[in-house]
Amino acid sequence: MVTKTEETQLINLENQVENGGGGAWEYLCLVRKLKVRRSDKVLKHGLAILNDSKERSSLGSEEWTLNEQVAIAAMDCQCLDVAKDCINALQKRFPESKRVGKLEGMLLEAKGSWSEAEKAYSSLLEDNPFDQVIHKRRVAMAKAQGNISEAIEWLNKYLEIFMADNDAWRELAEIYVSLQMYKQATFCYEELILSQPVVPVYHLAYADVLYTLGGLENLQTAKKYYASTIDLTGGKNTRALFGICLCTSAIAQLTKGRNKNDKESPELQSLAATALEKEYKQRAPGKLSLLTSTLRSLKIS
Amino acid sequence: MGIGFAVGVLGVLLLAHAAYSTIQYRGLLKITEEEFSGPPINVVVELLLGLVFSMWAALTVPGKFLSIHPDSEENRIVSLPANLDFMIFNHRGKAVLSGVNMKLKH
Repeated sequence: MVTKTEETQLINLENQVENGGGGAWEYLCLVRKLKVRRSDKVLKHGLAILNDSKERSSLGSEEWTLNEQVAIAAMDCQCLDVAKDCINALQKRFPESKRVGKLEGMLLEAKGSWSEAEKAYSSLLEDNPFDQVIHKRRVAMAKAQGNISEAIEWLNKYLEIFMADNDAWRELAEIYVSLQMYKQATFCYEELILSQPVVPVYHLAYADVLYTLGGLENLQTAKKYYASTIDLTGGKNTRALFGICLCTSAIAQLTKGRNKNDKESPELQSLAATALEKEYKQRAPGKLSLLTSTLRSLKIS
Repeated sequence: MGIGFAVGVLGVLLLAHAAYSTIQYRGLLKITEEEFSGPPINVVVELLLGLVFSMWAALTVPGKFLSIHPDSEENRIVSLPANLDFMIFNHRGKAVLSGVNMKLKH
């Protein structure tokens, strides 16, 4: 989870490193800790450290962690030579390691030799059938080949065994959304909200999926989850504020002409609109007129 | 840190001295054969001062308080980590990211 403070720290450090202000190692550590995907920058700065023998030896045993990080970044940038060199160095140091075995499998994946990668992974799974990372790699491999239905199948099998794996639930939800299977995606997001109830991002994603599904009941639930996102973020999430406005106008459209005994509080939308206007005034005054016209059209319909 | 620690030590010493004074006072009462109705006022004042000092030191010395509000800057989650376990490599990076001339030289 990346909090606001950590995000600011990352951006500052990134600027500093990009402008040659030093602190490359701290930046790489932060990238690793926050698990963000900055492969090009990791490759550039990590390789600079690895190629500088003085800096490299000052890292001590952290050198191997850096080797792994750079190897993965290099595969992501399709610099397969660099990745191969890093993996060879690791292989020399840890000849029997499963973790290096996984990296070798990933290198085969990056090359596009799927059957060999599959072979490598299944031999690793024979040694340890409950290696979560290898199972996940298989899912990713199916996805990379464009075989989404197989990826879903693998992922469902995986989740039957490792039900507490939030990342896998999230991946499944995202795959379902990409296939427009929103019903199934809501189930995954419900699971995520159950296991991590204070992460606003899951509430927001769940509300988005429900809003996309449509229907009065779903819209009302979506509105509640947008509201809980606002609650958890202190109203600093613009998407949730827009969600409230959209849900209210959609509900109003659906219930138009019916009896007017709705329990919905009318203040919620106006409060969200005021918060939006305030935020736009503060951060993008040029777009304010666009916002007010949008809000006006929502209120009329 | 230094000041806080010194105040804490002072507070504990005051508490210990108050305890010692009370015992002494009771011993005195036994000799004069009077009833013990309560500690003398200077011991009570000493006790309160010691309490305040120790409490202040205990709150400041160990470190700063962290926010528990979910919407504070330190706790507000703005993005999820990239799902790196599921990362795939056949994407646009092949064309966009240029790392052709990079080499690892050991």
